[in-house]
Amino acid sequence: MNSAKPKPTPPGEVILEVKDLVQIYGKRPVLNGISFQVRKGETFVIMGGSGCGKTTLLRNLIGAQRPTSGSIHLFGEDITKISPQDLDRIRLRFGMNFQFGALFQSMTVGENIALPLQEHSQVDPSLIEMVVKMKLELVGLTGFENFKPTELSGGMRKRVGLARALALDPELVFSDEPTSGLDPVMTAVVDQLTLDSTRKIGVTAVVVSHDMTSCFRIATRLLMLGSGPRQGEVVAEGTPEEMKINPDPFLQQFLRGEADGPIPFRLSQDDYLKHLLGDG
Amino acid sequence: MKLSLQSLLNVEGNGYGLLNVRIFGWILYGLTRRGILVPSQILAQMIRIGVQALPMASLVALSVGFILAMQSSTELGKLGADSFIPDLVSLSLMRELGPLLIAIIVVGRSGSAVAAEIGTMKVNEEIEALRVMAIPPIRYLVIPRYIALMIMLPCLTIFGNCIGLAGGWAVCAGTLGMSTSFYIMHAVQRPEVWDLYSGLIKSVVFAHILITIACYQGLNVEGGAEGVGRATTASVVYSILWIIIADALLTGLFYFVL
Ligand SMILES: Nc1ncnc2c1ncn2[C@@H]1O[C@H](COP(=O)(O)OP(=O)(O)OP(=O)(O)O)[C@@H](O)[C@H]1O
Ligand SMILES: [Mg+2]
Repeated sequence: MNSAKPKPTPPGEVILEVKDLVQIYGKRPVLNGISFQVRKGETFVIMGGSGCGKTTLLRNLIGAQRPTSGSIHLFGEDITKISPQDLDRIRLRFGMNFQFGALFQSMTVGENIALPLQEHSQVDPSLIEMVVKMKLELVGLTGFENFKPTELSGGMRKRVGLARALALDPELVFSDEPTSGLDPVMTAVVDQLTLDSTRKIGVTAVVVSHDMTSCFRIATRLLMLGSGPRQGEVVAEGTPEEMKINPDPFLQQFLRGEADGPIPFRLSQDDYLKHLLGDG
Repeated sequence: MKLSLQSLLNVEGNGYGLLNVRIFGWILYGLTRRGILVPSQILAQMIRIGVQALPMASLVALSVGFILAMQSSTELGKLGADSFIPDLVSLSLMRELGPLLIAIIVVGRSGSAVAAEIGTMKVNEEIEALRVMAIPPIRYLVIPRYIALMIMLPCLTIFGNCIGLAGGWAVCAGTLGMSTSFYIMHAVQRPEVWDLYSGLIKSVVFAHILITIACYQGLNVEGGAEGVGRATTASVVYSILWIIIADALLTGLFYFVL
């Protein structure tokens, strides 16, 4: 819709800056004072336990929901205060790969990927068709243009979601667990895709993941969100090397994937009994 | 002018009144700019929510024609006024039953489908995905359906009126021995142009009511598949309710006030 293309952010500049982000659902703070920066060209991985608020954070970052307080500067503009028109202008500069794909069920795979191109670029249909084929090739789904999303497996849907997020060649890509549900080979393929687009083309990626192998394969920097007693705070942040030597017990338990440690996975026995007997 | 219109389209919130304002805003905006009212999208919706309702609408209209002719023949027959049956059939169809019954059929057939479809998209995060791609859901989803229905419901109504007249004819010619030419002459001569127009105005109003309620319910679905079911039911119930209320108001306006 907008003809004047904004200047891309130069490499190394801050592209996304989050300050004191708080999101409260009912009375429960799911995010409680999150702050971090992402620079152009980085692959920033957000990890954390299930239900710790990763998707909530990402939804805030793309302007899909408003935080309770705090600010989010995306391409230099505070998207928590911006007008919807300006937000749409910024939205053309990033792509989003949803956790559950969010593919348009009534359209074919090809039409899903073509939609952003049809809506936002003036190129003619034959070229769009070609771009669609190229994007599908990128995610290893050549020849699936005419399938409906319901005819695909969960992992295939995720890859279509990624292809759609990349359709407009955005400067910044948000990806919510792009590799969960994929087999190890496909995980490696998607990771390689992230690596190629970030290292070679200079795309910035913000990726939510709890697959440790994948995290350390792609990340230039990682951030871990806390859960349980540390719900809503940043447990640790740093480069992969820094994370590995960080002594934080929360982080180390998560990295090693152990059941025992400070991360609670359920209510303790006492609470459970109380809960069961109805006075908890 | 453009700027203020655009900011109006983007006002946050999801009330029913706001949806109406946005729809009119987008249509106005679309008249000044290319690429907003897309003929192919509108045509596709006209087929899906209009043309496909044709068989059902025909069946209902035909039955209503039968009913009107049979009911009136028992009473008018007593008065020896059989010759007024065609007048009665055509007047009641054009002024009242055509627009109302066709609208109710389309509520059940297409309004519910629109509510369920948009509601499922909401649950499936597809609406969210549209927003994130900077594609306004109102423009992309609601406008084509709105325009399609505003065109198709009056068309279906005219079509239904014809079928209903044919039903009346079948009764008159088949059981009362009325000649076809007599039936047609009376059925066509008696109504005035205003009788037809008032019915069509009604059907435009009904179209607006049913499509805005269907879209509103769909866009505001909360809570998974169950929510979609609830929204679909609500869209049918509220549409029928408001269509009948609007019918009463419009009939009063057309035949008592004006
Ligand atoms: N709309 C909502 N209303 C109330 N609570 C919500 C809402 N959305 C999410 N939550 C709560 O916020 C918490 C974080 O949810 P979120 O989806 O962000 O988790 P996540 O980290 O993405 O988990 P996963 O790894 O399983 O995807 C959850 O405990 C959830 O119950
Ligand atoms: Mg999640």
